[in-house]
Amino acid sequence: MPTLIACFKWVVDEAYIRRGPGGALDFSSVDYKIGEYDRNAIEEAVRLRDAGGGSVIGVTVGVPESAKGVKDGLSRGMDQAFFVSDPSFRDLEPSQTAAILAEVIRTRIPQYDLIACGEGSSDLYAQQVGPRLAELLGIPCVCFVQKLSLEGGTLRAERRVEDGVEVVEAPLPALVTVLPDINTPRIPGVKDTLMAGKKPVTAVTKEELTGRLEGALKTEAMTASRLERTGEKLAADAAGIARFVDSLRKSGWIT
Amino acid sequence: MNFKLTEEQELIRKNIREFCVKNVEPIAAEIDEKEAHPADLFRKLAEGGWMGIPIPAQYGGSGADYMTHAIVVEELSRSCSSTGFTVSIHVGIACMLINLLGSEEQKKKFLVPLATGQHLGAFVLTEPGAGTDVMAATTTAAKDGDAYVLNGTKTFISNGPLADTYLVFCWTDKAAGRKGMSSFIIPKGTPGLKPGEHFHKMGLRSSQTSEVVFKDCRVPAANLLGAEGAGMANAGVAFDHGRVGIAAQGVGILQAALDESIRYAKQRVQMGSPIARHQAIAWMIADMATDLQAARFLTYYAAWLKDNKQPFTKEASMAKLFAAEKAMHHTTKAVQIHGGYGYIKGAKVERLMRDAKILEIYEGTSEAQRMVISGTVLR
Repeated sequence: MPTLIACFKWVVDEAYIRRGPGGALDFSSVDYKIGEYDRNAIEEAVRLRDAGGGSVIGVTVGVPESAKGVKDGLSRGMDQAFFVSDPSFRDLEPSQTAAILAEVIRTRIPQYDLIACGEGSSDLYAQQVGPRLAELLGIPCVCFVQKLSLEGGTLRAERRVEDGVEVVEAPLPALVTVLPDINTPRIPGVKDTLMAGKKPVTAVTKEELTGRLEGALKTEAMTASRLERTGEKLAADAAGIARFVDSLRKSGWIT
Repeated sequence: MNFKLTEEQELIRKNIREFCVKNVEPIAAEIDEKEAHPADLFRKLAEGGWMGIPIPAQYGGSGADYMTHAIVVEELSRSCSSTGFTVSIHVGIACMLINLLGSEEQKKKFLVPLATGQHLGAFVLTEPGAGTDVMAATTTAAKDGDAYVLNGTKTFISNGPLADTYLVFCWTDKAAGRKGMSSFIIPKGTPGLKPGEHFHKMGLRSSQTSEVVFKDCRVPAANLLGAEGAGMANAGVAFDHGRVGIAAQGVGILQAALDESIRYAKQRVQMGSPIARHQAIAWMIADMATDLQAARFLTYYAAWLKDNKQPFTKEASMAKLFAAEKAMHHTTKAVQIHGGYGYIKGAKVERLMRDAKILEIYEGTSEAQRMVISGTVLR
């Protein structure tokens, strides 16, 4: 029976971020959610379990307030979860998150077959944690996965690459990072949410970990992107093109 | 005092919101226009356990509290008031009454298919000549051996043409006055029970409303809900629970009116600036947000009393009265904010305004709520 691990992150729901005067971002009434692609990772692990048996273990790293995210994850079909939390984990750098996940998996989940991660988180979208985690654990990593199956001790994945679709196989245990096309995450029903609180959660504190884990990132400022238009119309003839080049030069875009 | 929802209630709100954005919002305008019952949507609601939230799991429900049911009705109504109401009356009245008053056998036979959402329920009380004045009802159930024979016509019955299970209120002993009414559980297909004329309504158009006619309709005594003569008290229980649902529906409509008004006021430019920066519009939106907050707190308070096993008749009436009247008032303002665009079919605020009006009428008119409230505070 395979043991499937799903890694996920509890992030700000961007739909609630408001743009204040002067482009400043207002986070005062934001809500949180499991990152979009991480939901795909959880869903895929749960589907594989439902089809082939086994169990799904969720692992997440975050601030203590992310506890609601653990419940959310469990309501999506995971059997149990490891919740690694500390108030300082708000500003972790992706390599640190990967190191924490690697340590927790190595020391607390003795045997596993597959680790599923989202292609990137919904906030930083650095696409770093999955591949780094695979590297730290010394297992194969398959990214950009849009279709996945497990047969015997092997995974078979369709990867979406620039020029088409690449089909690869890898021996288990292995790690995949999934794209949103891989599935449609379920919306938990009422009972799923009520049952989630009854599933086992193992809390792991910073003190139980060995790595150097002070937050390495510092957010200096955050502003909304601005799009400025000059409204200048240019004809598609030699004179228009000359004017276009001239205006780019004047505004400093080309020299 | 604690104004915080539980983690489960918050997650369930997020989930039903996501469900609505994906499944309800995209069809709401169309089912309103076509007066169509979205059977496929109700199958999905049943699958998610949304059709029996406060009913214990052993009877097919989800085993959550009444607050959670109110939150779900609110979110459904924010997208489609008809859908919110159909769930509200099905759960808040049909399921709740059998759960609270039914025998073990009745719960197994009727409540399980209702709470799982396989069946739909209807509350059958109003008659052509008996609205607020329930005593003016004329439908009778005459005892005949181990059965009752029903005759009469009920009207304005929500889910009337669709229901699998009807909760019917009629006289078993008219001479006994308030103690002469009884309530029955009657499955569809019972000979002599016939949904009558289907009504075309101003709003709430995808909710199906009809007459229900009884002609020598023979019902086994085993289908009596509660004791003979307890009908009027049972109707009171139905109203208490149902009114919290209607209040939640009003809250959902108010939230939708506010969402739409803010969105439009920020993007509509007149006289050189978004109309949201014009004080006349900004103040309408301020009042809307304030009344929404008040309506939500009144509604949640009534649900909280219910969940904490305290009397909530007065509070349910207050919540229903306030939410209904504020929903009507502010959907009119939302149309005003939208100007001509808000008066055109397809604008969401136009539908919200039509859907709001019924809140002041059914499950006790605003006048009936004032009778209940004044009757309590002047006692």
